[in-house]
Amino acid sequence: MTLRPAIRPVRRPDIRPAPRRTRSSALPAGQQGRKRHRRGTDRRPRFALAVTVAFFALLYYLPIGVVVLFSFNSQKSLTVFKDFSLRWYSAFFDDDVLLASLGMSLRVSLVAMAGSLILGVALALGLVRCRSRLGSLAGLVMLVPLITPEIVTGVAAMLLFKGMGITLSSGTVMLAEITFSISYVTVILRSRIAALNPEVEEAAMDLGATRWQSLRLVTLPALLPSILASAVLVFALVFDDFVLAYFTTGVDPQPLSVRIYSAIRFGVQPTINAVGTLMLAGSIGLIALALAIPRLFGRRGGLDLLSGK
Amino acid sequence: MALSKRPGPPRPRNGASASGSRLWTWLMIPGTLWMTGFLIASLVLVAALAFGTTDPLGNPQFGLNFDNIAAMADPAYRAVLLRSLGYALLTCVICLVVAYPVAYAIALHGGRFKNLLIAAIVVPFFANYLVRMYGWSVVLSDDGPLLRALRATGLADGDTKILQTGPGVVAGLVYGFIVFMIIPLYAALERMDVSLIEAGRDLYGGPLRTFFYVTLPATRQGAAAGCVLVFLPAMGDFVSAQLMGGPDQIMIGNLIQDKFFQGQNWPLGSALTMLMMAVLFLGMLGYLRRTRKDEAEAAR
Repeated sequence: MTLRPAIRPVRRPDIRPAPRRTRSSALPAGQQGRKRHRRGTDRRPRFALAVTVAFFALLYYLPIGVVVLFSFNSQKSLTVFKDFSLRWYSAFFDDDVLLASLGMSLRVSLVAMAGSLILGVALALGLVRCRSRLGSLAGLVMLVPLITPEIVTGVAAMLLFKGMGITLSSGTVMLAEITFSISYVTVILRSRIAALNPEVEEAAMDLGATRWQSLRLVTLPALLPSILASAVLVFALVFDDFVLAYFTTGVDPQPLSVRIYSAIRFGVQPTINAVGTLMLAGSIGLIALALAIPRLFGRRGGLDLLSGK
Repeated sequence: MALSKRPGPPRPRNGASASGSRLWTWLMIPGTLWMTGFLIASLVLVAALAFGTTDPLGNPQFGLNFDNIAAMADPAYRAVLLRSLGYALLTCVICLVVAYPVAYAIALHGGRFKNLLIAAIVVPFFANYLVRMYGWSVVLSDDGPLLRALRATGLADGDTKILQTGPGVVAGLVYGFIVFMIIPLYAALERMDVSLIEAGRDLYGGPLRTFFYVTLPATRQGAAAGCVLVFLPAMGDFVSAQLMGGPDQIMIGNLIQDKFFQGQNWPLGSALTMLMMAVLFLGMLGYLRRTRKDEAEAAR
């Protein structure tokens, strides 16, 4: 895993700013040497640190914390926490409609993961290695979902299916999610493939492997951590996706996030807190796994979540 | 296994590579066909239907009819579009103001916790969008923790509302998409040469002056990228306006949703979709011109 941007600043210890002639130089010699952080300036930005603490405590984790807390509430209230209870979890596991939705979401995510991996890995390999006009065109097409609001792709997919006379169902959700996920897989894998040394493949071919064998026996194993990481990521993203699923799903059963949407719109049900907590735990676990996979393989570089854009 | 990128131009292709090149093309074809068949075709369909009509039974018909396009001039639609634009822009500004200090503190003062902190921001972001929004709406609700705290400190009276107001919608959008701002800013700050900040201080610049004359210009591209990444989904969002806003706070996404589900007027919905895309396209053009100018300046 790397959370660092691909381009690291070059540190040149020999070029340093001249010592400041400010108040600090009046300090005794022992304290004068500035304490250097490994990276960063010497002054603590109190304002920025205060905003960061407030951001984490008040903004970022508060809504998630509220959902988790009230999923364990014994009462229906969303404002007063009474006693610890698991009744909303048992309500969820007794709810056949919600369980059917869960099953469908899992099926859709698995199929979308498999489909987008097959198409996306091949596409990424082709995009990096093939320098033809088709390649640059395909590269552009692949970026379209990333720069289009999801509601547009959702509406468009719905129109396409209806226009072709296909009844909306779990199948249409799968098709739409595959289309969307190919972009993610390709974006993640492109930089990893570009970082591979093609001479290793050529060496394999010099030793008698065919192009296809060298791809299968050399390149794909080298890419395995990145492929696994993007598989987990796609699974989590598709499982949690709402907008695309909302526009492309049929009546029954609906994906879990669509079901949650209608539950939220028509009055608050505390069961949603339990479902939400389970989903939060699931996706947080999956994303953490996706980030950790390359490390588990003992290699750097898997999910460059930061350097893509 | 150290497979590092080979520098320099690609080697002249020998026979083996030429056959490989054919393999790469073949590998590319299924994905490209799939994307073209599903994505591009469907977007073309939306564009085409924007010029269509509905028959008396409400079924969409293709045609070459400009009524839907003309309907976009309707003041009611214009008001919604302007509101969406305003909310999305305001969201960008608030995200920038909140995200900058966070990205700054993590990138320059995160120390060994840097990766952990970034993971703490990225990981929950991938958790279900609806559940996060729903939790946020509970936090902002009339007897939710935020308003109760504000009332207890006397900053708000009993009538103050956040839900069902415009600020509520913007609060939802900010919470939903702020990560898109933090990440590019963090990347830009990480990449920045810190000695520039120290040089600014050496030249007797105060913290504010150094920030506005050194740090901010050096990370301008990250900020611009973040604004685009926040603006795009904020413009298209309909969940925030639905959960945090009232009926008079709807955004263009709600209109589109309504035309496709309740109103069943798909041509009009398509026209609205195209209108939104046109606005976003103009914004993207502006961004691209801006970054190109920046790059040209940097190259000089």
